[in-house]
Amino acid sequence: MALRTVTRKLGNKFFPLLSSTSHLHSHATSFGFKEVKEEEKAAMVGNVFSNVASNYDLMNDLMSAGLHRLWKDRLVSKLNPFPGMKHLDVAGGTGDVAFRILERINRVKQRGIQRDFEDILEAETKIYVCDINPNMLNVGKQRALQKDGSLVWVEGNAESLGFQNDSMDGYTIAFGIRNVTHIEKVLSEAHRVLKRGGRFLCLELSHVGIPVFKELYDLYSFSVIPSMGEMVAGDRESYQYLVESIRRFPTQEKFASMIADAGFQKVEYENLVGGVVAVHSGVKI
Amino acid sequence: MYRTAAKRLFSAATHSYHGNLHRLRLRPPHSQIFIPYRCFSTSEDQPFPIPQSPVHPETPLIPDSAPSSSPSPSPDEDPRTRGDKYQDEKSRVLHASLTHVIKLGWTEAALIAGAKDVGLSPSIVGSLPRKEAALVEFFMDDCLQKLIDRIDSDESLKTLTPSECISKLIRIRLEMQAPYISTWPQALSIQAQPVNVPTSFKQRAMLVDEIWHAAGDTASDIDWYAKRTVLAGIYSTTEIYMLTDTSPDFRDTWAFLDARVKDAFDLKKTIQEAQHLAEAVSAGLGNTFQGFVGKVLRR
Repeated sequence: MALRTVTRKLGNKFFPLLSSTSHLHSHATSFGFKEVKEEEKAAMVGNVFSNVASNYDLMNDLMSAGLHRLWKDRLVSKLNPFPGMKHLDVAGGTGDVAFRILERINRVKQRGIQRDFEDILEAETKIYVCDINPNMLNVGKQRALQKDGSLVWVEGNAESLGFQNDSMDGYTIAFGIRNVTHIEKVLSEAHRVLKRGGRFLCLELSHVGIPVFKELYDLYSFSVIPSMGEMVAGDRESYQYLVESIRRFPTQEKFASMIADAGFQKVEYENLVGGVVAVHSGVKI
Repeated sequence: MYRTAAKRLFSAATHSYHGNLHRLRLRPPHSQIFIPYRCFSTSEDQPFPIPQSPVHPETPLIPDSAPSSSPSPSPDEDPRTRGDKYQDEKSRVLHASLTHVIKLGWTEAALIAGAKDVGLSPSIVGSLPRKEAALVEFFMDDCLQKLIDRIDSDESLKTLTPSECISKLIRIRLEMQAPYISTWPQALSIQAQPVNVPTSFKQRAMLVDEIWHAAGDTASDIDWYAKRTVLAGIYSTTEIYMLTDTSPDFRDTWAFLDARVKDAFDLKKTIQEAQHLAEAVSAGLGNTFQGFVGKVLRR
């Protein structure tokens, strides 16, 4: 026991990158496998996304072989949106998740004009798409030109949202929480803006535990994806950052415990494709 | 046998669930007062079992029944009470939703209306595993609990014969469903969906077990299964008959019920008589055979 704590302390000193116990602290200073200053991380991530914004959707399709659409569908079906809800999609730049939610709500409204359902819900549906990067938001706004006005595009930082307490029915963050500097701040902000009974859902690339599949996935990640980035988007660095940041992110269990620490209840996660992607959810009571 | 095991599990659950119900029935606005009571409950709270869906394996970190110890508890709150809070709120939402069922049916709309009544965001409905089924199962558990209360409090049941007791208990239980009878076919169809069958089967099994136990059953052999199967059959057919019964106060249903119970008991007597007959015949045959063999050997 004492030996373990000693080696842990030594491990922190001599092998910061390899120490598994300092994952939490090191997320704020890790940029993929590189170590950077906390203040610089946000700017560096910003650069990455400014670079990838124009090809973001295309690259998503290529890297996941179109599966990312199914993953986002699963996220939205877990959310179970209802007409009249106020929803916040953070780091939702190009609007994928927001469009899906809107589609689903309109579908429900058309399908079930049930007798007394309508007077119960007089509130107007509003979906706020928040992203720190204006380039990503612009791509989304352009895609939205033909959609209706329930979408509101907001530029903002997930760590300090400009929304009031207890104002949102739902909060989603899809493939975004990996890029923030302080995960705990984002989680507590999420807890703050949600109403009582509101749900937090996070879709994120996560850790694979299945033995053979893990090796194949690592091979695919480190060999294929940066090359694809180079060929299609002309930007190898950004995609190298992408795959490295996935490995640095906390495991499913660790992340779930962080969500619980932020005050959420009924914290659960569901692995998709054996752990390549995980959907974490929690309820604010 | 089943009842004692089930009673241990269920009464542990109802112990805390019971507190819920009393709280809800007697003093709804003062539910906050009873939270300390919940802290002391040492039972696992699981008002209705939620089977894991086989299609999407879901890994609950903090399962409904027991707040796990892996997340570090925040200094002011015990993880156990936090898990209980969600259960409390869920029960409140489901209870409030029941009042909307008559108008809106066993649907998500009723659940959303219930959530709004309680003051929670309707998003919480999304966190229920099988939304409408959760509502139906809550209702079934609620009715079972009321039935148990009635059995425990009503002394006159002990003076009745088994067939009368069973009749009366089924009648009491079905009368609880009477307000919802117009939407009950929908509830039955929800219970019949393959995903929901394990839970609804278990709930009905517990109900039937409870009724037989109250009627004074002490069997522990193959009879136990036969009795419960027969009673489940009587209950289900009466339930379905009730759906199309338009007589005042469901008079026809109770007549149907009495006739079925009588049939079942007659059937039991018939089987016993058939058994005796078979024994007698085989004994007789045995004698004849012995005599025949004896004669042959003496030769």
